[in-house]
Amino acid sequence: MKKLALAGALALGLSACGSEEPQVLNLYNWSEYMPQEVLTRFEEETGIQVVYTTYDSNEAMYAKLKLLDDSAAYDLAVPSTYYVSKMRQEGLLMPIDRSKIEGFDNLDPELINLDIDPDNQYSIPYLWGTTGLAVDTADVQGEPVTAWADLWDERFQGRVMLTNDMREVFHVGLRVLGYSGNSTDPQQIEAAYEKLRELMPSVRTFNSDAPRVPYLEGETDVGMIWNGEAVMAQETMPSLEYVYPKEGIIAWLDSFVIPKNAKNPDAAHKFISFVLRPEISALISEEIGYATPNLAARALLPEEVASNRASYPAPEDMKNAEFQTDIGDEALQVYAKYWEMLKSGQ
Amino acid sequence: MKPSPMQQPFRTAVLILVWGWLLFLVLAPNLLVVGASVMSRDPARFLSLPLNLDAYRQLLDPLYLEVFLHSLYMAVMTTLACLLVGYPFAWALSRVGKQRQVLLVFLLIVPFWTNSLVRTYALKLILATNGLLNNALLALGWIDEPMKLLYTEGAVIIGLVYLLLPFMILPLYSVFDDLREELLMASHDLGAGRWATFAHVIVPLTLPGVLAGVMLVLLPAMGLFFVPDILGGSRNLLVGNVIKNQFLDARNWPFGAAASILLTLAMAFLLFAHKLSKRRLGEEGGA
Repeated sequence: MKKLALAGALALGLSACGSEEPQVLNLYNWSEYMPQEVLTRFEEETGIQVVYTTYDSNEAMYAKLKLLDDSAAYDLAVPSTYYVSKMRQEGLLMPIDRSKIEGFDNLDPELINLDIDPDNQYSIPYLWGTTGLAVDTADVQGEPVTAWADLWDERFQGRVMLTNDMREVFHVGLRVLGYSGNSTDPQQIEAAYEKLRELMPSVRTFNSDAPRVPYLEGETDVGMIWNGEAVMAQETMPSLEYVYPKEGIIAWLDSFVIPKNAKNPDAAHKFISFVLRPEISALISEEIGYATPNLAARALLPEEVASNRASYPAPEDMKNAEFQTDIGDEALQVYAKYWEMLKSGQ
Repeated sequence: MKPSPMQQPFRTAVLILVWGWLLFLVLAPNLLVVGASVMSRDPARFLSLPLNLDAYRQLLDPLYLEVFLHSLYMAVMTTLACLLVGYPFAWALSRVGKQRQVLLVFLLIVPFWTNSLVRTYALKLILATNGLLNNALLALGWIDEPMKLLYTEGAVIIGLVYLLLPFMILPLYSVFDDLREELLMASHDLGAGRWATFAHVIVPLTLPGVLAGVMLVLLPAMGLFFVPDILGGSRNLLVGNVIKNQFLDARNWPFGAAASILLTLAMAFLLFAHKLSKRRLGEEGGA
């Protein structure tokens, strides 16, 4: 009798599940890169449950997506600039069905149809941003910091923070020497390593988890930061300034892509459309401080956000700015080797 | 002893379970790692043929030797600290009343209910320049300006000791618990002083516990990559960090696999040493 009741309960439970079909969207995104409010509103509106997983480097995201390719662990990911072209060329992505996307016309014409993905067949821009200098003006006295090269200044001994990102750190080293941040020339990379090695005694920590934290903790006063992190930090620490270095800022564009074997591409399309709504894009940009490529959303931004030069740089700030490009596997190995030498203090 | 027929099916089931576990969850993954370490690196598919020993040759690079030695140094410091704290702690633990022992062992295990990553972040709040410790010492007037504790080698060792100390205490506690009071009294009656008793009776009898504790602390201390990442500011590489970087960032799987085999071999070496020393102790005891 008991068994029968149990079976009945099970059957009921099963049929209840069947009629509701609780859908799930597996979103794989950078850490602290999507306000919880957006996820909650999406869940309320569509009934699709969002499972949110994070990463702190393109490399980690790429390795996991590739490895879990067949098990279709993720429905949506957010690679940066050149990783879109890399993943597209390696056939890791599913074409995006534009007929299911609403609001594509809201996007800045300058940020669509780029070389990384002609005609945006595989990617839809999410946010764009820059990696520049953070200066805690309360603790840094003397000459103002205006260039990457200023980090080498003796007064910053033990007070510098760098992102824990091989390409970005070498970008700085290369730019200080006047080379391109996308150099594939082993001699230039070695020169950048030698230059960075001189900086190491000043470096207190590497952080790509939440680069604002060491500044807020009071551990570091100057160094690298992502612009959105700087904006977030300014809320509690107004003395933290975001500076566009003379040698040129590092720029990136993060885009939504759907992995080839995604289990729920429909939900992924719905989510992209949801984010493309002007009020949602505006909410995201306001909340996490990065620039939205959504022009309709920019019109909705409060004045203090739209005019914040950290989020929305003036044209002169972007002078010498460089987007990262794919450097190929051979150069990657060279970088990786020097990166480990740098980290192990050789 | 022959098992009774009644026990047979149960026995078989347990054996199948244990062997199945070992085959699928221990042997198979390790064979995969060994296999990966002798393959060639492939940027698109992670691994490819032909088989070769390039990854092991790369391990001989002075860079990685340096990382290994530094890692070993940090692990040895951690182990010594654990031993210095754990030895008297385990002794004291075994000498309090039974009921209190249960409570103390319980308290020792409670932190395991919280994820070690979370506990490491908590430690960060304590060690930061404007963290709990510095603020408390400043308020007490013991220091004039905050100490730089976070993002140093010391912070990494503190974190490792904090996470691994129970693994030192528990095996020590079990040997101290078996250490019989009569032996100490006998040693005393035979004229040995406190120091002689300690050196000639207590130490040899607790040595198996010390070795077990050292093994449980030393190797994990070289592999807990998130501790140097969080508390050391990603500056003090451990072997674990190299393995993680090779798998995730540099995408050089054969090399990452070879590095982890190095750790496994180091563990095997320690086990072997442990066995040898036990045999020697056994002979001494029997003589």
